[in-house]
Amino acid sequence: MSRIVMRFTGVGGQGVLLAGEIFAAAKIKEGGFGLKTATYTSQVRGGPTVVDIQLDDQEIWYPYAIDGQINFMLSVADKSYQLFKDGVAEGGTIVIEPNLVHPTDEDRKKWNIYEIPIITIAKEEVGNVITQSVVALAIANTMMKALDEQLLIDTMLSKVPKKVHEANLKAYELGKKYALEALEKGPAK
Amino acid sequence: MSATREIISTGNDLAAIAAVDAGCMFFGGYPITPSSEVMHTISDLLPKVGGTAIQMEDEIAGVAAAIGAGMAGVRTLTATSGPGISLKAENLGLAQMAEVPMVVVNVMRGGPSTGLPTRVAQGDVAQAKNPSHGDYKSITLCAGTLAECYTETVRAFNLADRFMQPVFVLLDETLGHMHGKAMLPTVEEVKAGIVPRKKFEGDPADYRPYGVAQDEPAVLNPMFEGYRYHFTGLHHDAMGFPTEEIETCRKLIDRLFRKVDEHRDEIESNEEYMLDDAEILLIGYGSASLAIKEAVNVLREEGIKAGLFRPITIWPSPEERMYELGQKFDKVLVVELNQGQYLEEVQRCMGRRDINKLTKTNGRPFSPADIIEKVKEL
Repeated sequence: MSRIVMRFTGVGGQGVLLAGEIFAAAKIKEGGFGLKTATYTSQVRGGPTVVDIQLDDQEIWYPYAIDGQINFMLSVADKSYQLFKDGVAEGGTIVIEPNLVHPTDEDRKKWNIYEIPIITIAKEEVGNVITQSVVALAIANTMMKALDEQLLIDTMLSKVPKKVHEANLKAYELGKKYALEALEKGPAK
Repeated sequence: MSATREIISTGNDLAAIAAVDAGCMFFGGYPITPSSEVMHTISDLLPKVGGTAIQMEDEIAGVAAAIGAGMAGVRTLTATSGPGISLKAENLGLAQMAEVPMVVVNVMRGGPSTGLPTRVAQGDVAQAKNPSHGDYKSITLCAGTLAECYTETVRAFNLADRFMQPVFVLLDETLGHMHGKAMLPTVEEVKAGIVPRKKFEGDPADYRPYGVAQDEPAVLNPMFEGYRYHFTGLHHDAMGFPTEEIETCRKLIDRLFRKVDEHRDEIESNEEYMLDDAEILLIGYGSASLAIKEAVNVLREEGIKAGLFRPITIWPSPEERMYELGQKFDKVLVVELNQGQYLEEVQRCMGRRDINKLTKTNGRPFSPADIIEKVKEL
């Protein structure tokens, strides 16, 4: 497997960190190397947050995603989208929350941008906004085919409290469903 | 030590786990970004092994509590970031003077002052050498991988008890927060490697805690075991009582230096990466070395033979090895996330001023591309 580099961006407090930890841990369990780093501002809530995830069969030294080498980005806040989008390789995949993120027409030509209402799915269909991290996890894995799905789900379940297992499983299934639908429809124009 | 135990964690958590595995029984501190997770995690772990973790009212009280535990005879830790070290400085001087062993984990962030709380820097390298006024010899270890956040913390506890003084472990925001795989020695191995501080076993009437050989640390028995002596920050005699006697004062500070200087072989630790056939020498430490290693790999693919020398014990610095490397390499580049704090030490050790530098102080890490570009300019 060549290196998979993903970036999740949002604003502080949205809880996109967990998905990164799950990806890294699952890849390591598979026998490879996974690294997650997060960059955030000193604002407690509302500052742009970026989580970089790298998965590889070879050892990874440098822990941050290198701009221009990012295969996949998921963004749930416009200011972080604008700030970090240029790190995505041309022709790479970007998933945005269409209620909150507003790409330009040029952006849509440069990257494959899919619109999935991640926060609405978590809030209304799962019934718990915190599960957006797992919705995002499912979308990223479905689109990137990064890791074995069952391994990822098992790792996810090991990292969330038992009482929310069901909600998170539902979040994963919904994320996967929306990702498959989006892939079938093709990038939003 | 072997590296057989796989843990998926962050640098901060690994430092806390290491402390407990190394027999630390007390933590005193105050939370500060980006080190807070050390305190969170050890607050969870210590009570489970019968230890104590306490959040004090501020940084100063945090280190004071930790020193108190060290005086009482237990392995003790505090963790903070640069602004916290500034506040703890006076008490760290007391621990140097009274020879109280303890470990201080500093997860570096951007400075000076409150600086850039959530961002990476290596700006506390000079501070770690002399956080407090007066003359003493710092022992500072600088982790450069996730695994070393664990192993260097373990080593720090053993060195603190060996040399009876505070030992710094420098992490930085990148290492403290990055999450990935670390291959560690087993807990059994770590426990087997613990060398507790020396204890005087003779007649209490013959006990002279500070009356030791000129290249050795004080022998401070745990309190409440019938051996009486005095702790002070003042110059003191063999029993720890204040004195201004000329020869006693001279010998005391001389000994604080010599106990470290004459045992450098027990303290020094370095990594040499792709150095054997290298033509360009890069020097870096901490998380910057991760970008350097990546850069070295890319440069070598392009036919440029670069190699890395990474001091793990940064104070006292690896003087002899750096001198040798300075004789061998024409092109030397120091890469650090400050304005050149270690560069000056490299110049001193190599006896050369023509050392190149790549520095950064905007709270962002080096990317391998920054380093590759600089190397190609040399």
